[in-house]
Amino acid sequence: MLYDIRLELHYDYDAPVSGGRHLIRVQPISRPGSQRVIAASLRCDPAPSVEHRYDDYFGNAVTSIVLREPHESLDIRLAARVQVDDLHPPADLSPTIEGLQQDLSRHWSVSPDSPHHFLASSPRVPLDTEITEFARASLDASPSVRATAMDLCKRINAEFAYDPEATDVETGPREAFLLKKGVCQDFAHLMICGLRGLGIPAGYVSGFLRTNPPPGKPRLEGADAMHAWVRVWCGLDMGWQAFDPTNAIEAAGDHIEIGYGRDYADISPIVGVLKTSGSHATRQSVDVIRLD
Amino acid sequence: MDIGNRRTGDEPPAARGLIDDYTLMEGIPDEMIDPAGNVRPGWSALISAFEDLGPEELSARFERADQYLRDAGVFYRTYDGAEGNERPWPLSHIPLLLDESEWMLITHGLRQRAQLLENVVADIYGENTLVSQGLLPPELIARNPEFLRPMVGVKPASGHYLHFCAFELGRGPDGTWWVLGDRTQAPSGAGFALENRVATTRALSEIYNGMNIHRLAGFFRDFRDAVLAQGKRLEGRVGILTPGQHNETYFEHAYIARYLGFMLLEGEDLVVEEGQVMVRTVAGLRPVSVLWRRMDDSFVDPLELRYDSRIGTPGMVEALRQQSISMINALGSGVLETRALAAFMPRLARHFLDTDLELPGIATWWCGQPAERQHVLDNFDTMVLGQAFSTTLPLDDPRGTALGADVPDDQKAALRERLATNGVYYVGQELVRLSTAPVYVDGRLEARPITLRVYAARTEHGWTIMPGGFARVGSASGDTAALSMQRGGQAADVWVISSSPVERVSLLPQDGERLVRNQPGNLPSRAADNLIWLGRYIERCESTVRILRAYNARLAELSNPQLPVLVHTRDYLESVDVDATEPLPTALLQAIDSAVFSAGQIRDRFSPDGWLALSDLQKSARRLAGRVRAGDDATRSMTVLLRKLAGFSGLVHENMYRFAGWRFLELGRRLERAIHMARTVAFYTSPDAPDGSVEILLEIGDSVMSHRRRYSVSAGAQSAIDLLVLDQLNPRSVLFQLTELSEQIEALPGGVEDGQLSPAARCALQLHTQLVVAEPAEFTQERLDALADDLSTLADLLAAAYFT
Repeated sequence: MLYDIRLELHYDYDAPVSGGRHLIRVQPISRPGSQRVIAASLRCDPAPSVEHRYDDYFGNAVTSIVLREPHESLDIRLAARVQVDDLHPPADLSPTIEGLQQDLSRHWSVSPDSPHHFLASSPRVPLDTEITEFARASLDASPSVRATAMDLCKRINAEFAYDPEATDVETGPREAFLLKKGVCQDFAHLMICGLRGLGIPAGYVSGFLRTNPPPGKPRLEGADAMHAWVRVWCGLDMGWQAFDPTNAIEAAGDHIEIGYGRDYADISPIVGVLKTSGSHATRQSVDVIRLD
Repeated sequence: MDIGNRRTGDEPPAARGLIDDYTLMEGIPDEMIDPAGNVRPGWSALISAFEDLGPEELSARFERADQYLRDAGVFYRTYDGAEGNERPWPLSHIPLLLDESEWMLITHGLRQRAQLLENVVADIYGENTLVSQGLLPPELIARNPEFLRPMVGVKPASGHYLHFCAFELGRGPDGTWWVLGDRTQAPSGAGFALENRVATTRALSEIYNGMNIHRLAGFFRDFRDAVLAQGKRLEGRVGILTPGQHNETYFEHAYIARYLGFMLLEGEDLVVEEGQVMVRTVAGLRPVSVLWRRMDDSFVDPLELRYDSRIGTPGMVEALRQQSISMINALGSGVLETRALAAFMPRLARHFLDTDLELPGIATWWCGQPAERQHVLDNFDTMVLGQAFSTTLPLDDPRGTALGADVPDDQKAALRERLATNGVYYVGQELVRLSTAPVYVDGRLEARPITLRVYAARTEHGWTIMPGGFARVGSASGDTAALSMQRGGQAADVWVISSSPVERVSLLPQDGERLVRNQPGNLPSRAADNLIWLGRYIERCESTVRILRAYNARLAELSNPQLPVLVHTRDYLESVDVDATEPLPTALLQAIDSAVFSAGQIRDRFSPDGWLALSDLQKSARRLAGRVRAGDDATRSMTVLLRKLAGFSGLVHENMYRFAGWRFLELGRRLERAIHMARTVAFYTSPDAPDGSVEILLEIGDSVMSHRRRYSVSAGAQSAIDLLVLDQLNPRSVLFQLTELSEQIEALPGGVEDGQLSPAARCALQLHTQLVVAEPAEFTQERLDALADDLSTLADLLAAAYFT
């Protein structure tokens, strides 16, 4: 499937900002076997005094910019064309939780893709016994790790309300858990938190969803903004599988990946240090058009 | 066990001496007495010297050491209770003596260990062969909060990750030395080791000089030279990166910066431009190429490491990636302090060095492995259980560790369950028993547990070990948990005794060494800003004290608070937020606190005497605050404070080197004095000023005598204006301040460039010229207030040019 993606992030400042340094992570990269980036361009307005690109630890594309001149707003525009393979969900070859522990103990690697990075508390997802207990019901109800993940994915979708007003970008998983509502970021963090509590490696994926659904299918929640979902390590044979708890589906075909990390903090679209006391407002718009 | 009747050397068996009364602990080795009951080398000379001095003289000597530490301002900060808790440094006056032959074993073992740690950290942030070969479990790295992912693959500019490490050692029951912990993150205490040495030798100079004790200066010289060589190669300045004055060891950062001649920098002093770290100085941005970091690594860059760090420098990791700066030690090296890593060190030594560790570590079992976990569960009661990923030394972590046997019965099952199901996060360690060494308590020697902190520095010839260090001494015998100074332990100097005369070293340049001069432009902007404010606060205190003294003297004499001149003075003070009805107004105390705060931010630029004078002023003011009564009593108190202020000013004037730092302090004083003088003259010479105003004005301006000598007439508004505003020779006049201001501002970096004056220099010169040609009659209240406003503008111009 071929997609054209347009993203615009807009930040307004209360007062002119004199200098700022940001790290931007919005540009999809090619992932062998799942997606291929055909073209991509990222532009900032005002134009940065210094701009350069590098790959972070997890292999995500980072654009580092420095804005030296005073400015009252910042626009970041991404245009990309991406080929996504519609990977038909394979048969469930994942082990039981005991089998998964065996697989982990045989996996002697700390490469960025290693499941070992995705088991401990991370900056935005501290382990939580109550959320773990919530997730344990999915473990008890399922014969395999992948089935556990899918069950948890569906239960989060069923038991939590999608409500953009209820939480914000700083909300932690525990708070969303108690509110029983939130958005894609909260649901992803919740699912990650529960799975890690059970000993199942889970990471955070940032990306886009196609804007218009295929004929006869409902429009997916979160398609008008940047989206987030979860990758789960399902043992040595299946490796990483992606789940979208906001829509209770496996993430494939309709999902275009920007990158991943342990949680939102590793892959937030913009990290910045601004020399300003005023708060800043933000707007974002996303268009993902299927071309074929 | 009392071990009396011991003979030491050929000394006659005197009356029961200090050693006879020394009681050892059963089964615990001692530093003074060897297992056979003999006094170890060096100690008999030391103790018999103590006995010769006698208890009174000894106490006087020890007091001399304490006095030195107080005078030098050696403090550490505690976190119990109120903020800003500074405690005197708790020196145990008896040094720990170690024989050179034993020291050689420690030195050799630590060099090996430093080398091994470098290999391990290079692998963790490089190829990760240790994990792929099964030598380190992946969980130990991937779940470790000290593992900094952004640093993976970032090669250090110097080629090495570690340059300065500390090791905590203890002597085990078998008499050999053990490594209790490696400090690779940002080891503190090297400066305290130096101060311990100075203080101890103050007390025991002839004893020290009579023995062959290794000097510490050579170690610091070699480290400094190695760091300077790195800085030279990377073409930039060398700085110590400190978290700031609220850190518990900030004193030490300032001390060591002064001692080694490095800049003391905070995160906000630095900015990263095109991948190069620069320091904001009063002469603009200047490159920095080596930072000796005393700040935990995750705080160093809020952009790529801890997003909530307020003390970091955005872009620092980028600069490291570009290898434009060398960090001592590399960011991420804290991972080596992980408690569970101790379990793998013997294996790693064999892997990298093909040999066993010369100094063993604490036996450690990581519960992430089935066999080790079972061993810990089987030996639960005799194990010290703790967090696998903690970086706190087990001895310093009484809340985070527990001996299995001491775990309350109702919690044992739960803990065993956690070990079994979540073993990755736990270790079991053998219980550490420390040796004892003597401390002097009430005329007797008492055995207390000790640990030894030793420092290692990388030089171009490899690792060098400080021949000494400092010993931490427990607060009560047998209580190893009390070693931490936060909980009342003490520190002692460590003397390494040589059998032959030792090299005497100083950090002063030797013959043939080229003298390197620091350029004035090195003054960081933040330091300059603090200096100018320190000058202003000091001057503000002085002017307020002078007015209060004049006010209270009249109050005592006239005993009618409603007299117009007193009402007028109260009004003036109110206009500057001082409540004259308080005998020692809160606003004055606040100004003093502000001066101390500003000075505290730049402690590396102060002589200990200057700092002492300032804290003395603060203490006196606080003491007086509660009990001063208005009138005579307040007058006398103000005179006391004035004298202390003059003491500080005198020290600054007579002792401070005329560098850019002194200029900014001076600018602050002159600006504040000029503004204050213009405002008071305006207030007291206004048409509605009551009788007696000119007299009190001259007194405030400390110009009563000058007026008498200079003018034959009685005091009037015109002569007061002439003397306090326009007189070139009166050090209190506005014109005098402007002359000084003009001169100092022109001498600042960028003050005059290509014959052009900077905006601040031009402003100062203009104001100066106006006053030179003016007549007293021109100075109405409006004109004087406008003059004060212009002076404030000058202060703003300086701030814009040098502090942003």
